[in-house]
Amino acid sequence: MLLFSYLLLGGLTSGVLYALVALGLVVVNKSTGIVNFAQGELFMFCGFLAWTVHVQFGLAYPLAFLAAIAGGFLLGVVTDRVAFRSLAKTDVVGLVLATVGLGFVLRGTARMIWGGKGDYLSFPPITSPEPVMIGTIMIIPQQMAALAGALVIMLAFAAFFKFTRAGKIMRATADNAKASTLVGISIQNVYTLAFGTGAAIAGAAAVLAAPLSLLYPDMGFAFFIKGFAAAVLGGLNSLSGAVVGGLLVGIVESMAGGYIHSNMMEVAPFLLIMLVLIVCPTGILSLYKARDV
Amino acid sequence: MTEFALSVRDVTVRFGGVKVLDGVNLDVKPGEIRGLIGPNGAGKTTLLNVVSGIHAPLQGDIMLDGESIAGHKPSDIARRGLGRTFQTSKLFRGMTVLENLMAGLHRRTHSGIFRSGFRLTRVTAEEEEAERAARKSLEFVGMAQFADRHGTELSFGQQRVIEIARTLISDPKVVLLDEPAVGLSINRLAEFDLLLRRIRDEKGVTLILIEHVIRLVMDVCDKVTVLSSGRVIADGEPDQVRHNEQVIEAYLGKELRARHSAS
Amino acid sequence: MGLFSRRNVLAILLLLALIVPSFANAYQLFVGNLILIYVLLAIGLNVLVGYAGQLAFANAAMFGIGAYGTALLQVHLSWPFYLAFPAGALIAMAVGLMISLPALRLSGLYLALSTLAFAQFAQWVFLHWDTLTFGAGGFKSPPISFAPLPLSKPVGLYYLSLITTVCVTLFAQNVVASRIGRAFVAVRDSEIAAQSLGVDLLRYKALAFGISGFTAGLAGGLYSQLLNFVSPEGFDLFQMVIQKSTIVVGGLGSIAGSVLGAAAIVIILELLREVKGAQEVFFGAVLIFFVTFLRGGIVSVLQQRLRGWDEPLHGTRGTDAKSAPQLRLDEKESLP
Repeated sequence: MLLFSYLLLGGLTSGVLYALVALGLVVVNKSTGIVNFAQGELFMFCGFLAWTVHVQFGLAYPLAFLAAIAGGFLLGVVTDRVAFRSLAKTDVVGLVLATVGLGFVLRGTARMIWGGKGDYLSFPPITSPEPVMIGTIMIIPQQMAALAGALVIMLAFAAFFKFTRAGKIMRATADNAKASTLVGISIQNVYTLAFGTGAAIAGAAAVLAAPLSLLYPDMGFAFFIKGFAAAVLGGLNSLSGAVVGGLLVGIVESMAGGYIHSNMMEVAPFLLIMLVLIVCPTGILSLYKARDV
Repeated sequence: MTEFALSVRDVTVRFGGVKVLDGVNLDVKPGEIRGLIGPNGAGKTTLLNVVSGIHAPLQGDIMLDGESIAGHKPSDIARRGLGRTFQTSKLFRGMTVLENLMAGLHRRTHSGIFRSGFRLTRVTAEEEEAERAARKSLEFVGMAQFADRHGTELSFGQQRVIEIARTLISDPKVVLLDEPAVGLSINRLAEFDLLLRRIRDEKGVTLILIEHVIRLVMDVCDKVTVLSSGRVIADGEPDQVRHNEQVIEAYLGKELRARHSAS
Repeated sequence: MGLFSRRNVLAILLLLALIVPSFANAYQLFVGNLILIYVLLAIGLNVLVGYAGQLAFANAAMFGIGAYGTALLQVHLSWPFYLAFPAGALIAMAVGLMISLPALRLSGLYLALSTLAFAQFAQWVFLHWDTLTFGAGGFKSPPISFAPLPLSKPVGLYYLSLITTVCVTLFAQNVVASRIGRAFVAVRDSEIAAQSLGVDLLRYKALAFGISGFTAGLAGGLYSQLLNFVSPEGFDLFQMVIQKSTIVVGGLGSIAGSVLGAAAIVIILELLREVKGAQEVFFGAVLIFFVTFLRGGIVSVLQQRLRGWDEPLHGTRGTDAKSAPQLRLDEKESLP
């Protein structure tokens, strides 16, 4: 039971981070139809920004949090302005390559600013690092903090989409772009907003992830591909699907690592992706939804 | 050749919970020009899609020159001698007009990867033959001067004609045309009418065309089939169909039909 | 055909390549050999991505499989290089096909994702299947001996690479100018129209994957001899990005472009060798720039400036993103 709960909680924690990365991807995809292959690097860069604010400048953790989100938003806006204005929405090859390129620009920049390969920066934990025992279940406070934080962030963004004007505009455009132009919404601005929001979510995820693991410039890609897998699992256009998908990926990864072999941790998500794409590329949730036809 | 070039027997197609085609029957004789008309949403394009293999029918069968093709892969059906065009231009953007036509010969050419890679003489001969055939085909439709141009440089009407040539170049038995005359001016319509007749007369191809330009349909088609809400509501010669009450009702609604028959 | 036609330019490059060993020092010979290897990679990748329009990210993995395959056959089974080399390429092709066949039904983003996943999986195997691959530390591969020819290993390897590259280039150029090439472009530009002309999608996608896998495997086999050392490091996503840069810079959908792009990229790669971070920024920026502003690559510029430059299957002469051959997003082709 101890092992199971330990693995489960660990899996949920990483799962919730993957879910946030996936959310960021889905937000952008819903509005623009584009998958941002630089999402992992945005995540990584914001993590480093948070480190700079909190560790180098010694400011309080919440400020680091704000810095990461704001920085993320800004980077997202820049991404939109620089890379995507000139590309057609249907140009998949171009968009993917451009975002991949952007990811590497960010990665290289981070490497030059914050140190070379092999240098791992650590972010101090925000809670006490000692595990707490509740019955036979071991709870790691840091993970709980991350879980709680992620939940708050998800609720905050859900509220943003549901209740604020900007959020409604984004939903409208995602639903029917042509109709929204008729109502006076500027599509370009919505795309910018979408990219900014998607990146901001990545930034938020980074700040939660930072105390849990070491920061290094190459960390982005692993989060991206797992987040992408999670988004696909949930059906690329579903926000709730992204969350479910993320948790699934996290738990599968953790369980495989614990029960099969620690080496499996790295590869289990990828095997999961391959399986899902072969069996039901429209996402697991769509299997469920399709049943009532 | 069997009695019918194309035979659709009792085909039903469902999308979600809706029957888009409901027990459709259609028999087209070789060398016929068949019109397929009906109000929007009647299922005309779906019927073409089922025949060309993009969807599989829930029920029923489709026979091309006597052979069953229902549910087969689109490329297999094409290789058996079915050609089609689409409502939007699907010329290959990365190729010149001539290369597009040569691509149309895909099922008639046979060089595999190794022969092509080593450029054996057979391959060179095949390529030259293909280029000749492509130019001839362009001449037939009056587009020879555009051979080295790029599809997007041409007008939509010209692109459409070239696509038809591309479909014809492999000598298919049956060709499905999806609204080929959309946007053509009156002058061009007359030319197009002539082209369709020439295709039928000189190439012996069976044509089935979906059209909204009723005038063209009535002029050039030997028989007309009318589809409404997934069902065939009329099937016969253009004049018969034109005066068929159900057809008028389908297009104009019950009230206008009453007014029409009163006049 | 003008003075600067595609054939003439390539012929000139070939002549230059032939005489390189006579004046180059060891390092320059190394770079020259590296260029040839990247040309091989670029050609295969261009056939898959540029011509057939398949957005695949598995090429770096197949490059690795070729390298590991060739070297391991030499080390574990004592095969001579001239057997291990084609065998390694065949293994890469077979593995690539096996993994990609299920993925061939997917298009666009999903294909990208599944090939990325496969690439990560391959990395993982290189790292963790120690008994076979010697794990993270890598291993040495026995150098080829070119006896009885009076060639040192570096020079001999260079000429072997040159011969391989020339053969593959000619083969690819022929394939692309044939009905197979037209079938590839048809699949890229409109799967639905391609099918309506009788092109079997699965077959031609698999063919494109097979070609790119085989050439990547050949490149890998040669690479394993370049330093006589194989480790998991050279076959990661960055390697994939470098490869993509070569075809984007050279020109998507152009064999000649692959040659030019590979040469350009390798030279710049070596110039920036010192600072990895700078390399990454540079390649990322190059990718963005060319994809956005110069989609047709170097070749499109040459097509515009040099009158004799003919490219099969390059109907367009534009250089901006909108006019270059594009891939449709999944099946969002209009099919009312």
